[in-house]
Amino acid sequence: MDAAYAVDLESVWRIYRRDEFEVRALENVTIKIPAGRFVAIVGPSGSGKTTLLNLIAGIDHPISGRVAVGGEEITEMKERELARWRARHIGLVFQFYNLIPVLTARENVELPLLLTPLKKTERQEHVEAALRVVGLADRMDHYPRQLSGGQEQRVAIARAIVTDPTIVVADEPTGDLDATSAEDILTLLRELNRRFSKTVVMVTHDPRAERHVDEIYRLDKGVLIGIEPGKGATEARAATSS
Amino acid sequence: MKYAMLVLKNLTRSKRRTILTVLSIAVSLFIFSALISMPAVVNQFLADSASSTRVAVHNKAGVTYGIPEAYKQRVVATPHVVAATAQSWFGGIYHEVSDQFPNMSVDPEMVGETWPDWDISPQALHDFQRVRTGALVGKETMKRFGFHVGQQIMLRGTIYPFNVTLDIVGVLGGKAPPSFVIFRRDYLEEVRGRPGFVDVIWVKVDNSANIPQVSSSLDEGFANSSSETLTEPEAAFYGGFIAGYRVFFQLAELMGIVVVFTIGLVAANTAAMSIRERRTEIAVLRSIGFPAHTILSMLLAESLIIALAGGLLGCGAAYTLLKLVSVQGVVGTIRMPAPVLFAALGAAALIGLLSALVPAAAAARRNIVDVIRAVA
Repeated sequence: MDAAYAVDLESVWRIYRRDEFEVRALENVTIKIPAGRFVAIVGPSGSGKTTLLNLIAGIDHPISGRVAVGGEEITEMKERELARWRARHIGLVFQFYNLIPVLTARENVELPLLLTPLKKTERQEHVEAALRVVGLADRMDHYPRQLSGGQEQRVAIARAIVTDPTIVVADEPTGDLDATSAEDILTLLRELNRRFSKTVVMVTHDPRAERHVDEIYRLDKGVLIGIEPGKGATEARAATSS
Repeated sequence: MKYAMLVLKNLTRSKRRTILTVLSIAVSLFIFSALISMPAVVNQFLADSASSTRVAVHNKAGVTYGIPEAYKQRVVATPHVVAATAQSWFGGIYHEVSDQFPNMSVDPEMVGETWPDWDISPQALHDFQRVRTGALVGKETMKRFGFHVGQQIMLRGTIYPFNVTLDIVGVLGGKAPPSFVIFRRDYLEEVRGRPGFVDVIWVKVDNSANIPQVSSSLDEGFANSSSETLTEPEAAFYGGFIAGYRVFFQLAELMGIVVVFTIGLVAANTAAMSIRERRTEIAVLRSIGFPAHTILSMLLAESLIIALAGGLLGCGAAYTLLKLVSVQGVVGTIRMPAPVLFAALGAAALIGLLSALVPAAAAARRNIVDVIRAVA
């Protein structure tokens, strides 16, 4: 197990059974994503992008192969152990934000911290820091219905990063947003990656993502068909050299 | 404790549904606790007032047939008998038909010895033996009608075609049935024209171990007479006396249970709907790292809080109503005994836990990916 890789999938197969049909979501996929990268997984609908992301997030299991995240093999973990592992290592961002509507932004972001031994005051400090990072320090006590889609997604990102996870996984984070908000969210994810060296793995259909990410992993019909550099890596190199 | 915020916030998710669920449970437990209180009061009466060393001697054919008052002399002379007091039912009412309480006449001489557990004061006993129209009144009846010692009251006959005028000389305390009124049998006999028959002879035995011996001795002694007797312990006597009401009580209990069961099904449906609406949120919580058992506990806690709130509301309303209306039962005013309160709250807790258990357990264990995919 190589700890230099944030994500290390080897010969992973995932097959679903839908009634009498067998769906090959992933076929013999091997992917190694180095730590500290911002990568996009792209491909047409049904190509297995979300399945791959679910395996990395530890909310789904392969039928064969090996999944290691943050240097820890999760393939054989039991559900209770996986839940603990997710709480420690994974920050999840969904397309539809999935905030709890009866909780304020502050309380939504605090949710993952309830699973830690932190005291109330310490939890509040972490929550405020996370909301400041996503630019919502002035919206802490707003309910999701009082926020725009872009702001809701920022709260969701704050919830994902508040525990300082090993890796942030985002499933179509711009899929439900207008162009401006989508650009803002991509910029925010890139900032998280650059400023805090956070590994970000994102499934997307959004062509704007290419300008932000370091690598693009292209899937088709459950098979990894290529890895291309994103423009984010070039921009980062240019910024470093200048 | 840190999850309490989440549980309480979820309760406010749909205020109207929460309030309606609380109210439906409250109404069912109001009915349940009110109905269950009736038999519970009777059972409590038997447990509280029946003495283990007191027996009732009455006609073997039934209390209403009576036995000769002369039997008392033979009863008193029986070994192990400490005291005996003859009693005849009067069954009068105070002003209105609704102003009912158990009232009967007794021989005044050995009241203190026959019912030492009734805590009748020496002065009251003395006055009862001295004043021919004297009456001893239970605490509850004193309070209910605002009676006081020295007051004269008139009971209207319902069995007999005459009234009796009584002077209250004392209060029945201790384990005396709180609604009872007793007055002197010689006064009743005089008004009746001295027929020489009594309903029951109450017998105080020196030791409960001697009751079988005394009972068989008395019943054998009066065998083959014109009025054969049946001697039975006080609890059995009262139990038989109110046996006619048992079917009604059982029906009341059954109705109470049916109402609670029905509302349990309604609550289960409501809980299932509420949890189904939140299945995505539950999946998200699990994806964040919340263990299934924590989510299950939070969902059950929500349901439990709603059910207990309904239970407290329903029981509180039933308790208050029974106290205010002062429903008069066979053996006294129907109040909600503590065991009924606990049983009703236990029923509420069961409704809360069982109604949410199945949908909550299913939601807490459902495959996260399936739920999120279904929504996306």
